[in-house]
Amino acid sequence: MAKAGSRAGRKTSERGGRGGKGGRGGSDREAPPPGLLRARRLGLVVVALAFAAGIWAAGWLLELDRVVVSRFEGRRFSVPSRVYAAPIVIYPGADWQRLDLAGWLLRTGYREQKDDAPLAVGSYRWGPGRLRVHLRGFEHPQLPEDDRKVEFRLAGGRVAEMRDDRGGRVPVVTLEPEAISSFFGGEREQRDLIEIAEVPDHLIAAIYAVEDRRFEQHHGIDPRRIAGALLANLRAGGIRQGGSTLTQQLVKNFFLTPERTLRRKLTEAAMALLVEARYDKRQILEAYLNEIYMGRRGSTAIHGIGEAARFFYGKRVADLSIDESALLAAVIQSPNAMSPHRHPERAKKRRDLVLELMAEQGRITREEAEHARGRELSLAAISLESGQDRYFLDALAKQLPEVYDDELLSVEGLRIYSTLDTMLQRAAVKHLADGLASLEKRLGVDTKKKGAARLQGCLLVMRPQTGEILAMVGGRDYATSQWNRCTMARRQAGSVFKPVVYAAALAPQSGPAITLATMVPDEPLRIDTPNGAWEPVNFDKQFRGPVTAREALERSLNVPAARIGQRVGISNVVEMARRLGIESPLPAVPSLALGTAEVSPLEIATVYATFANGGLRPTPRSFIGLLDDRGVGQEQWPLAGARRVLDPGTAYLTTSLLEGVVDRGTGSGLRARGLRGPIAGKTGTTDEEYDLWFVGFTPEMVAVVWVGYDEPKAIGVPSSRGALPIWADFLSAVTGDEVRGAFVKPSSVEQIDIDPQSGARALLGCPEHRPEYFLAGTAPEKTCPRERFFRRRGFFDRLFGR
Amino acid sequence: MANRRERRAGRGRALGLVASGLVALLASGCAIVEGPGLGLLPTRPQTVSDAIGRYDAARDASLRLVIAGLDEDTAGRPSRALASYQRAIGVDPTNPYAFLALARHHLEGGSPDEASAFLDQARALFETQDGLGPEVDVWGVGLRAGIDRALGRHDEADALFESARSLSPSVWEDEWLSASELR
Repeated sequence: MAKAGSRAGRKTSERGGRGGKGGRGGSDREAPPPGLLRARRLGLVVVALAFAAGIWAAGWLLELDRVVVSRFEGRRFSVPSRVYAAPIVIYPGADWQRLDLAGWLLRTGYREQKDDAPLAVGSYRWGPGRLRVHLRGFEHPQLPEDDRKVEFRLAGGRVAEMRDDRGGRVPVVTLEPEAISSFFGGEREQRDLIEIAEVPDHLIAAIYAVEDRRFEQHHGIDPRRIAGALLANLRAGGIRQGGSTLTQQLVKNFFLTPERTLRRKLTEAAMALLVEARYDKRQILEAYLNEIYMGRRGSTAIHGIGEAARFFYGKRVADLSIDESALLAAVIQSPNAMSPHRHPERAKKRRDLVLELMAEQGRITREEAEHARGRELSLAAISLESGQDRYFLDALAKQLPEVYDDELLSVEGLRIYSTLDTMLQRAAVKHLADGLASLEKRLGVDTKKKGAARLQGCLLVMRPQTGEILAMVGGRDYATSQWNRCTMARRQAGSVFKPVVYAAALAPQSGPAITLATMVPDEPLRIDTPNGAWEPVNFDKQFRGPVTAREALERSLNVPAARIGQRVGISNVVEMARRLGIESPLPAVPSLALGTAEVSPLEIATVYATFANGGLRPTPRSFIGLLDDRGVGQEQWPLAGARRVLDPGTAYLTTSLLEGVVDRGTGSGLRARGLRGPIAGKTGTTDEEYDLWFVGFTPEMVAVVWVGYDEPKAIGVPSSRGALPIWADFLSAVTGDEVRGAFVKPSSVEQIDIDPQSGARALLGCPEHRPEYFLAGTAPEKTCPRERFFRRRGFFDRLFGR
Repeated sequence: MANRRERRAGRGRALGLVASGLVALLASGCAIVEGPGLGLLPTRPQTVSDAIGRYDAARDASLRLVIAGLDEDTAGRPSRALASYQRAIGVDPTNPYAFLALARHHLEGGSPDEASAFLDQARALFETQDGLGPEVDVWGVGLRAGIDRALGRHDEADALFESARSLSPSVWEDEWLSASELR
């Protein structure tokens, strides 16, 4: 009780004391001095402030921690999906110069090795009449390949034979597909993600040596390094040396802006501590190695050592040697100033400094450092992507399943394997650009005048048997116009549509309405339509009287084509066009026979591919499969069989007609340019010369050239002088003098001699004979007319000049 | 007299030889000219390996890739087989054997419609190159029968298998074409 009473009394007394504060009496204790009171108050404020600061700091750190965790445990890197070309196959007898084997080595980052040491992976060595390559292994959705050494023995521009490193004959070699471009996001960063396990120890040692020698010991910030840097900077009178650890560098690149403020530095330090507290050193190092900026290739930023190893040395990071690792570490400090491509001396000097530091710190031996210092930089050639490939990429993206949208393609690091043939694509890019420039020059277009309309074009190449798109250039400059004129533009087809009309009329389903020997009047024609009378005329406004169907197409005569359209029926023409692959609207009007419908070059390519493929229509395709960023197959698009839409006989007759166009008709400019072998094709010039087309094919490829202005306007030349030369130059570049293969008639077609004047069957004694093709049983029954027989000039006629 | 008789006998022997030669020629011609299902003589099918060396370097390389694909099919790796056939077509898009192998592959994989499309392509290419002689059409006839069977057209399948067996009993006895048989 006493105790309680005393406690109560003390309380009372305290209360009384407080109650007496400011009062006059009521307490026997003395008031504390004012200074102490102030100090107490200050102390309280400080405690409160510290508490508040603590709360704020805890919140701040928690927020930073949340940011760190979400970045580290979510998607850390945006990796653009990369698109690869179809692999090149080399075999004995192949024309290695036309396949551009030497260019392939450079573009895929192979390095020439000039010493006699065993060839490293990704290296090659030229010798007299031979090329030795240590081919890298490569991934593929269906058929990946291991690395292998191959010797190509070369003779007369051809591969004479191929041997492996044990001297065994190699029948076929598939080369690694070329990376043609990537689906970049807004930042245009390219990286090739690596895992820490695949990084060689000497690369880690090189980075530690020059960037953060105590990385394994510190906890995110390194006071000794900071002090050292401070001292060095004080001595230098400015900022000369940084005190950042690898963790701080990672934090800065990952989370922060590059500004140099105290607040940013504090945040960086706090985050570095958090990162170190949460993750182990190997995880941090792996993130750093994937994030670090390593320079530029054109407009693309190179990030991470995986991409840098490919960019500088054309090899995987696991295959880097000590000197190569030292160079990569040397570049980190200042990738542009130390770029080994632009400043090789500077880069080499810093590489040697890294090697010296590595030896000094005992990370490599003196001998290893000396040996590495003696190595040249020996960089892979830089191959800049052609912006023109992006038309193909856009078309490819549209063919991918919908789930692969732009966002996903720019971050998921997919590897997309396409059908593009790099040799054909390069030729297409070059010859379309050259052809348009040359045409503008001939037309006197002032290309320097601001706002002047520039000619545009498309060059599209397809494999008729499979529909694979081998090359696509949808305009003259992707940077200024992304409008893909091969797939998106719908332009009047003009005369390149006529073969559809002829195919409809030649097909057995129509009767057939005509044979190639049918005489068609090239005479004035008037067709009444709901919109008034339609009177087609030929391009030269002349009429030639009766001509054979073959001659009519070879000379691209409009009036006979309109008559044939009428004979077969426009609805049948529309139906045939649909079967052959045209999906655009087709007005069922008489003028459709002359190609007044608007179609895309891709549709026209499909139509002609069907003729080239014997009536089997392929489905256009631009990719064969894709892998995710770990190399696991995600999608495959195996070859689909072409569908029979036209009987082989009719397809052959149409092909034969189109061969005639090239041999004797409006496409004979191709022969004049020295192109030999099986080539079929058709010119097309629309009214007012707004659109110029040339569509041609060989047994192995179909190519479409379109030339015109985006805002339709007269060009001033016909297609034989506008589109055909581009097609000819392209084909000549990719096939050489002679085209492989042949167009061979199927058994349903027979060859019979006819009289070209009458279209009748030419018997012995008929003055003129010309072989012609017919579907079996459709050859003319009429024979060469008697009057023609008797009109034949005899010996005396010739003698007396009668 | 005797000489004349000998000469006459000699002429008779020569005529006999010519006649028997003509009969033999006609018989062999029938084997080539007649279509399947008409009581054909057995023929030795031309395998992919047999076709090597008959065309040009590109065709040979393409055929070797087809063989690689058939080996992958035999080993039960259909995806790798498909890639090999695709590369074979890349080297020589007019190689009928590549499409024949694709038809076989798809029939085996349970896609008779795809198999049918590739078979059409193969036959069209054979026809416009060497002609559809029985030594190559033996594959097509049997595969068409297999496709008909898979599509439930059993009467057509039976008739075609009959023809295929008459052309090559060893290949089509079991009504099945393995990758190694085509190889």
